[in-house]
Amino acid sequence: MLVAVGVRKRYGGVHALRGARLALRPGEVHGLCGENGSGKSTLLKVISGQVDSDGGRVVLGGVETRFADPAEALAAGIATVSQERTVVPDLSVAENIFLGARKARSWRGIDWRTTRRRAREVLDRLHCAVDVDTPVGSLRPDLQQLVEIARALSTDARVLILDEPTSSLADDEVESLFAAVRRLKGSGVATVFVSHRLNEVFRLVDRVTVLRDGEVVGEGLIGDFDEPRLVHLMIGRELEDLVVDHRRHQLEDAVLRVRDLTVPGRVEAVTLDVGAGEIVGLAGLVGAGRSDLLGALFGLEREATGHIEIDGAPVRLRDPARAMRAGIAFVPADRARQGLVLDMSVAENMLMAQTSRAARFARPRRAAEQATVDSAVQDFRIVSASTTNPVWQLSGGNQQKIVLAKWFGTEPRALLLDEPTRGIDVAAKAEVYRLLEAAKANGLAILVSSSETPELQRLCDRILVMFRGRIVARLTNEEADEARIAGYAIGHDGLAKP
Amino acid sequence: MTPDPEERSALRAGSVHALGTLRRVATAQRFFAVLVLLVVLFVVFTVTQERFATSANIEALLTSAAILWVVAMGLTFVMLAGGFDLSVGSMLALSSIALGSFVNDFGMSVPVAIVATLAFGAIIGGGVNGVLVGRFGLSFLVVTLGTLILFRGFVNLWSGTKTEQVLSSLLDSVAFDSFLAVPIPVWIMVLTFLVALYVQRSTYFGRDVYAVGGNREAARLSGIKVGRTIIAVYAISGMLAAVGGVLQTARIGAASPQVGEAILFDAAAAVLLGGTSFAGGIGGVGGTAVGVLFLATLQNGLSVSGIESYWQQIITGTILLVAILLDRIQREGLSSIGIRLGQRSGTGPVEPR
Repeated sequence: MLVAVGVRKRYGGVHALRGARLALRPGEVHGLCGENGSGKSTLLKVISGQVDSDGGRVVLGGVETRFADPAEALAAGIATVSQERTVVPDLSVAENIFLGARKARSWRGIDWRTTRRRAREVLDRLHCAVDVDTPVGSLRPDLQQLVEIARALSTDARVLILDEPTSSLADDEVESLFAAVRRLKGSGVATVFVSHRLNEVFRLVDRVTVLRDGEVVGEGLIGDFDEPRLVHLMIGRELEDLVVDHRRHQLEDAVLRVRDLTVPGRVEAVTLDVGAGEIVGLAGLVGAGRSDLLGALFGLEREATGHIEIDGAPVRLRDPARAMRAGIAFVPADRARQGLVLDMSVAENMLMAQTSRAARFARPRRAAEQATVDSAVQDFRIVSASTTNPVWQLSGGNQQKIVLAKWFGTEPRALLLDEPTRGIDVAAKAEVYRLLEAAKANGLAILVSSSETPELQRLCDRILVMFRGRIVARLTNEEADEARIAGYAIGHDGLAKP
Repeated sequence: MTPDPEERSALRAGSVHALGTLRRVATAQRFFAVLVLLVVLFVVFTVTQERFATSANIEALLTSAAILWVVAMGLTFVMLAGGFDLSVGSMLALSSIALGSFVNDFGMSVPVAIVATLAFGAIIGGGVNGVLVGRFGLSFLVVTLGTLILFRGFVNLWSGTKTEQVLSSLLDSVAFDSFLAVPIPVWIMVLTFLVALYVQRSTYFGRDVYAVGGNREAARLSGIKVGRTIIAVYAISGMLAAVGGVLQTARIGAASPQVGEAILFDAAAAVLLGGTSFAGGIGGVGGTAVGVLFLATLQNGLSVSGIESYWQQIITGTILLVAILLDRIQREGLSSIGIRLGQRSGTGPVEPR
């Protein structure tokens, strides 16, 4: 169906691709694996006409092709859903799905009824129940992602490229997306699937291609691979595995104590404690209120009511600055939008939170700051040529470590994290886990929300499952198996127990 | 095109230093091309016009740029924080009328009246523009368009649309005297620039401005008081517009309701020529200084050469457009403006290269 061979691409003096290849067969789901920087995105961009290669050939349906721009690739049947969202927030779901000139028309102009009906049909294939008249901007990020996937599906693509489509989806949405992708196989569509979550790769794909440093280091049927081998191919070495000690805690020494926290319509009377040196996980579907709960604890929700204590002292959380003063730190889910100022330097980003309490017309003490930054770069193993470089130059994993360094620098008592490893590769994930475990050993109270159950199982001493704004289950690490969490997350109380 | 994070990391793995240095230089010296043009312009005028590079003419050139200079410095802070201030010209005129009124109607001594005028500028800038944009979150374009009209209305109301003489030896010497052979307005320019540069580079507030302009949400989540920062940049803009108003009043010896009507366009052009991003977060007062000097040199040189002044508009407009186009291409490549070189389009068979 589609074969790319010998694809080469250089950016400046750097080889992003050195003769990479990819062969897609009709009706298969093809996994493309590799660490950040391995050339995955570049290869996909060459195939979808977003960048021009320096060499190599792309053959689609027996014809050698070279697309001048993404529109030509789309017309030839290659549709891409990328990590970055490309929806128009103020337009409706239906309009976003049929963005451009693809809306149904009649003699009266655009035929809205037919357009809406077709949008509905596409969304039904994804089991997505959103109202097609809702402005996309008012939807949660995961639903916006589904709208993008619906748009790609609506073009009747022969090749569908899904570049990390699941990074902001919860388990049940991932499942419904996978179901939709599997159904596409029947119609002969070749799907390329990129994900850093290897369990998803193993669940979904038929064949896999592994890239490292712009070259193919492994390819074949997924059944011929297992996870350790895949990871080994991707990173070229073995991953260190830490022995985790999930202690039980006395809750009298709770650092973070939350009673009856309510955010109208989103969080219902949540009560929880996080002890010193404890990691508590928040599981649940996207939209179950996990992010809203963390936001409320950081003072982002003005209508929030309830009682919050840090180390026994009641705190009123009205804005982030006050939450910080009370000893709370918050690592938000969206690095680029909430976590970092991409044009500012590594050092400036790292210091942004801890210096936000200083007098504004004071002169920063550069030597002391540089020492702080240098030691953080070392502790967090951040790879950057210079701390004065802007952070947009760094990989996702390094950016996330900068966000962590930024918040650890405020010397918090309680650390809140929302999706701490979204969109970063396996090695960087392991680094983040290592850092969180070190913080735990130092007596921090950590509350982490994640859509990835294995991540919570790996990290957390206890896991709280949320459903429609409430905590519906409190599980210890031993009790928290994937099926049970999934059961609670979709509202089965206790029935899902094995 | 902009490399995505993955490619960025691939780039990083290889020529870290080359790219990092290039990017730093490009960011830090976004005004480099305009600086080169400024030098070229200066040399051309010097060679062709013997009256150009005389100390009297250079003095006149600089002195005439003083008002634009201070107003553009204020606007730079607003734009770095991701905003814009359409009302600078109206604030300048209102400050001029205020100064005249403080002296003539309220009987203030001139030094007191000048300080009061600067405070007045900061208050209308911060208290009206700043509060509406920073505290209430209204659109800066709509707010400052509103105050552009509103303040101009107050100028006419307060002055009765009449120009009123302001007699003061202090104001005269501000406009026309020299200190150490350098005109006082040039000293004011130097002082304004040094203070602005210090605030921009060496205070936490300066970093806040970049953070708020670069990513408002990330700044807020980092505990930065975003609203306060925005109020402050509009106050700075108002105060520096008032400095412009004082200089204007001193120069013509009168408080006139007609002043400052066109200064917004020159100030915005100077800031943008100087490489400050309209989207905020990138640029600085150093570039603005180059931008103002460029405009001033062009205007002075053309008038010395006896060339019609509309050529100044044509050249300034053209260079501004070319500058932003080149800047885009330099940072994001030709493809970002829809041009691809050396490539055949179409899906038909293509011979391997």
